[in-house]
Amino acid sequence: MRFDSATADRVTAAVFFALGAAMAWGGYVMDRLEIRQIHPASIPGLVPMILGGALMICAALLAINAPRTPRDPDEVESGSWGNFLFTLLWSCFYALVMVGRLEFAIATAIFITGFAGWFLVPAATDTPSRLKAAGFVAVFGIVAAVAISALFRYGFLVRLP
Amino acid sequence: MEGLSNFVAAIVALASPMSVFHVAWATLLGIFVGSLPGLTATMGVALLTTLTYTMERDTAILVLICMYVGAIYGGSRSAILLNIPGTPASAATSLDGYPLAQQGKAGYAMALATAGSALGTLVGILMLVILAPPLAEIALDFGSFEFFWLAVFGIVISGQLTGGVTPLKGYIAGLLGLMVAMIGSEGIHAHVRFNLGFHQMNGGIALIPAMVGAFGFAEVLTVMWRNKPELIEKETTSDRILPRIADLIRYKFTILRSGIIGTLVGIIPGVGEDIGAWASYAAAKKTSPERDSFGKGSQEGLTAAETGNSAVVPGSLIPALTLAVPGSAPAAVLIAALFIHGIRPGPMIMFEQPTFIYSIAAMLVFATIAIAIYGLSLTRLFILVLKIPREILMPVVFTLCVIGPYALTQRLFDVWVMVGFGLFGFVLRQMKYPMAPLVLGIILGALLDKSLRRGLTLSNGSLEPFFTRPISVFFVLVIVLSIAMGLPPVRRAMGRLTGRGRPTEK
Repeated sequence: MRFDSATADRVTAAVFFALGAAMAWGGYVMDRLEIRQIHPASIPGLVPMILGGALMICAALLAINAPRTPRDPDEVESGSWGNFLFTLLWSCFYALVMVGRLEFAIATAIFITGFAGWFLVPAATDTPSRLKAAGFVAVFGIVAAVAISALFRYGFLVRLP
Repeated sequence: MEGLSNFVAAIVALASPMSVFHVAWATLLGIFVGSLPGLTATMGVALLTTLTYTMERDTAILVLICMYVGAIYGGSRSAILLNIPGTPASAATSLDGYPLAQQGKAGYAMALATAGSALGTLVGILMLVILAPPLAEIALDFGSFEFFWLAVFGIVISGQLTGGVTPLKGYIAGLLGLMVAMIGSEGIHAHVRFNLGFHQMNGGIALIPAMVGAFGFAEVLTVMWRNKPELIEKETTSDRILPRIADLIRYKFTILRSGIIGTLVGIIPGVGEDIGAWASYAAAKKTSPERDSFGKGSQEGLTAAETGNSAVVPGSLIPALTLAVPGSAPAAVLIAALFIHGIRPGPMIMFEQPTFIYSIAAMLVFATIAIAIYGLSLTRLFILVLKIPREILMPVVFTLCVIGPYALTQRLFDVWVMVGFGLFGFVLRQMKYPMAPLVLGIILGALLDKSLRRGLTLSNGSLEPFFTRPISVFFVLVIVLSIAMGLPPVRRAMGRLTGRGRPTEK
């Protein structure tokens, strides 16, 4: 399924419709703070109800118009899903798992070395070139991690995770 | 006259060696950020904001302004040499810049882009100084009813103009932004909404992590997903790198018109530099005697696009400063930065900080001088920057995306927010949802919410004042017209009336 297609629009329309309905319902059942005797027009759920309703209408229109929406037939969605998946998983592993559990500089050095090495080492044509690329990314990862950590810690006085 | 003297005084006050040092490094960093595909002005300003927490107020704002101006200008480099705009603002630049590079005139194309950017920013600065004070005065008449419509107007017009072929996606992006703003403690009764059981969400979703995710991590994913661009190096070192005065005189009306168009586009909430560039480019193409060469390496087309996108920068600061409504996505981050540094943008700014608008104008002048100097002297260095492999650059960028949001509140929850918005932003972008209305929605959500409920409380539940007060009536008419113009039957009817179809996006 292409990202920019009628099917994709219908699927997202369904998701947005459900999201709008959830927000409208959430606004409707939200505490109206009667105990605090607030003005009924200022209840906290008012705007969420309106926004939820508006999103449901837009989602319905998106689904209805999906087949008629003009799209560029010449536009090719070209990209490497392998590269994307690695970038996503490795980045999430760094941000959600390594950071906070490891010393920031160490986590960053591992992340940068792993990221650059994943792409640059296999791209080298022979074994000596691969070893050279691996050495380069390792040194680069360590230097970059130390430099970034030092810059934030001592230059901008930020407490690192 | 008082405005002029304030402006001159602000320039004099800023002309210290330390300020010049900050202008020098921040503008250069901005140009690097803008010139690298995948690093946008919004991302640059958002990441740099996280580095300015410990800086003195005026210094912090100065470096952010320089980053903004530098990044918008820097986008022209990769647009000309790679045919890939460094930032979306430079998309129109690549139409003529890249063909000029293919003809061996990359140096001259960059020189024209530099001159156009500098002159466009200067036109915008002039309009900022002229228009911002009276606009702030008009905004003093705004009450809850008008602010509610202003917020709706911002979302509608931003969705309309950035939604591409279907404004509906722009509206949906705006609504999603508004819904994000509903999370956390609301501004009237301090009731916590939609925190989903996470106490970290009681204060709402902070703008900086959301922006760094939507413009930083999403860009990292996009850049690594896309195929590698090819750099044009043919003859880039031998052609002229200074603009000819005769050419600038020849294009003087194009520069002035593009500067005015860019500034006016900048004033419209949440529209941004790319629309400013396209509108200026289209106007130049319509009136130019050499219109046939547009898209094939027209110097006038390149100048118009670059003048237009750069003029949006000062233009977008006009509503940002006087109404606290951003004219562009980077201006939205600047608003957040202003609040962080204790400045309250909005109608009261001319009372609380009467000279601040002139200080901003002076900062823009310094940044403009810096891009002119760098642009004309460091052409070859920028070509080297474009050769940095993305595999080396992107992990460093992502590291900054992680540390930036964390630096603000020292909690890992903001890093998770950044990752979530990054993934969400990537998917939305691939599906042709514009990001500007989403950002605008996050910024304007609280204003819309509070203004509607406060207005209804003031009118004892009556909707009448929302439709009868003069400024409200104006906003309602513009909103209704904007939505009507986006409806396919109306567009078809307009096309028949004017004898032509809807113009293409480019």
